Amino acid sequence: MSEALAAPDTTVDLAPRNPRELVLRNPVMAASGCFGYGQEYAQIIDVQRLGAFVSKGITPKPRAGNAMPRIAETPAGMLNAIGLQNPGIRGFLKKYPPIWQHWQVPAIVNISAEAVDDYAMMARLLDEAPGVAGIEVNISCPNIAAGGYCFGWDPEMSADVTRAVRAATTLPVIVKLSPGALDIIGVAQAVEEAGADAISLINTLVGMTIDTRTRRPVLANVTGGLSGPAIRPVAVRMVYQVAAAVKVPIIGIGGIASLNDALEFFLAGASAIQVGTALFVQPGILMRLIDEIEAYLAANGLNQLGELVGRAHPAHRADVTADSDVALAVAEG
Amino acid sequence: MQSAAGATMRPREFLAELLAIEPVMGDSAILTFTAPEGFAKAVGAGQFLDSLCRPESAHDPLLRRPYSICSVDRARNTFTILVRPYGRGSAWLINQPVGTLIDTLGPLGNRFEVQPKTNRLLLVAGGVGAAPLVLLAEEAVRRGQSVAYMMGAQNAEGLLPAHVLPEEVEYVVATDDGSAGAKGFVTDLVGEYLRWADQVFACGPEPMFRSLRRVVLANRIGNAPPVQVSLERTMACGLGACLGCVVETKHGMRTSCVQGPVYDMDEVIWS
Ligand SMILES: Cc1cc2nc3c(=O)[nH]c(=O)nc-3n(C[C@H](O)[C@H](O)[C@H](O)COP(=O)(O)OP(=O)(O)OC[C@H]3O[C@@H](n4cnc5c(N)ncnc54)[C@H](O)[C@@H]3O)c2cc1C
Ligand SMILES: Cc1cc2nc3c(=O)[nH]c(=O)nc-3n(C[C@H](O)[C@H](O)[C@H](O)COP(=O)(O)O)c2cc1C
Ligand code: FES
Repeated sequence: MSEALAAPDTTVDLAPRNPRELVLRNPVMAASGCFGYGQEYAQIIDVQRLGAFVSKGITPKPRAGNAMPRIAETPAGMLNAIGLQNPGIRGFLKKYPPIWQHWQVPAIVNISAEAVDDYAMMARLLDEAPGVAGIEVNISCPNIAAGGYCFGWDPEMSADVTRAVRAATTLPVIVKLSPGALDIIGVAQAVEEAGADAISLINTLVGMTIDTRTRRPVLANVTGGLSGPAIRPVAVRMVYQVAAAVKVPIIGIGGIASLNDALEFFLAGASAIQVGTALFVQPGILMRLIDEIEAYLAANGLNQLGELVGRAHPAHRADVTADSDVALAVAEG
Repeated sequence: MQSAAGATMRPREFLAELLAIEPVMGDSAILTFTAPEGFAKAVGAGQFLDSLCRPESAHDPLLRRPYSICSVDRARNTFTILVRPYGRGSAWLINQPVGTLIDTLGPLGNRFEVQPKTNRLLLVAGGVGAAPLVLLAEEAVRRGQSVAYMMGAQNAEGLLPAHVLPEEVEYVVATDDGSAGAKGFVTDLVGEYLRWADQVFACGPEPMFRSLRRVVLANRIGNAPPVQVSLERTMACGLGACLGCVVETKHGMRTSCVQGPVYDMDEVIWS
């Protein structure tokens, strides 16, 4: 008998500098707001096989969400303005962690707030909750103290939230960046410095669509978050830029709908990926990606997923100098 | 509204082969498809399917489109949907040739709930809202209950052909131009049937619900007969995960794809 080839190593350590650890069996995660609380998809896929999943965004108080319509389809994408409908941190804690504590798959809780103290309060409550493997901090929220300016658009405000959450919990903390930031590199470096274990990006881009028959915005909320394949090139670019500027692991998000899309993110520097909108179209996509990533590594003679991460960067490309690549990142014309 | 007793089926993604296309109601069509094993026996009236209305390799239109299950053939294990060409997705679907495999997710959603004591069902249909009520009529007739199926359209051509309904059903129609049945709105006919009916079930466009509600509130005694409505909302996931499809009820926000599309009329907060 010939010795069977060992399966490639797809594990990912998302919190290497945190003793509480966040090690995923594979790099495939479900994105916040697109996977409910894990149970919704459990009836149709084997949720336990996932690298991890991220819950719907939780807020300090229960929220009923926005008026309908909340969703509008756009070219190769969609706009959503759900309005963070959720039971609030206390209602959430009673309901979901007790279920998750019997699950193998790491459950990550996405938190949103409009004040730094509220982020910290939620992180404190989550710290000892059973069945919670980590926190993803959604900083694409208006900061009431700054007149509604989005936390995630400003490096200082992003760092304030990160620092407060870091101080409130020893759980692994992932900070999820907003693509609305003018200086995405500055925000990434600020949250790394402030104690983020990992960075995920991107959240949705703010967009809008108008019904020409009624002459009104389609969404009741007027604007919404753009997601799906339409945003993928923006997301790949931001992951690429951030990967060159920070050391913490990066989770790539934005329009991933196939193996090829996932590979783009790994090559740009992501250690793991999240899938959102594509789940609505192909509920089996996460299971397929897990299998296809492993098969790809094996077929290409790679022993570890890590061998792929960041390979598109100049250090790995003999033909390019770092300088010419920076120029590429800046030139948009 | 709850899932009916007996066999139920968890949602799954499957390829449904298009077997037949029957043009009905002017530009619309009834499409017949193959189903996964056990499907025809397990689904119930009110439930729907989420169909991918494009080639799989394309990105537009991105999201699946929900279509109510219109009827099932238990012996052959096939099902039908009734599609009106409205925009891009439905136009694509209705133009596929027989033999096409359609990526389908389902069965999804809850069912119309017929109470054990009910003997007489009044069904009120508008446009493609006729679809889920056809299956409800089939189920009721199989149980030996009496069904009055009311449908309104602009003209005779827009009505569901009578042969689509079981023979035992009393088919009552109204048209705007009087070319078939009574001249006027279908909801004008509802009043006189309210005393007869033990339960009312409706599916159609929003304006129909508004006038139906007006007629019901003006004519019924107390809360009898109760009225169940199947509402249409834009959907994304179809599985209760995205919260994009909610209906506001007296008990809070309810997802249309899991806790709907069927609601008790009195529970819905009508805007
Ligand atoms: C539970 C449920 C059951 C359904 N059952 C059926 C059914 O049995 N038969 C059937 O034909 N359809 C049914 N629909 C509607 C169907 O899902 C699609 O919305 C419809 O086919 C239009 O899709 P499209 O891609 O053709 O149009 P799109 O390209 O999505 O629409 C074109 C334009 O019309 C608008 N629009 C889309 N649909 C409507 C609408 N219904 N009313 C007003 N404006 C609209 C869109 O916002 C867009 O601006 C059901 C919907 C739900 C939620
Ligand atoms: C319906 C919907 C709801 C979302 N809700 C949240 C949320 O509560 N918190 C959050 O951080 N991101 C939320 N997102 C953003 C996604 O997690 C993801 O960052 C974004 O959709 C891009 O990925 P995609 O193109 O794969 O969907 C939501 C996205 C969608 C489509
Ligand atoms: S369509 Fe996503 S919750 Fe109903």
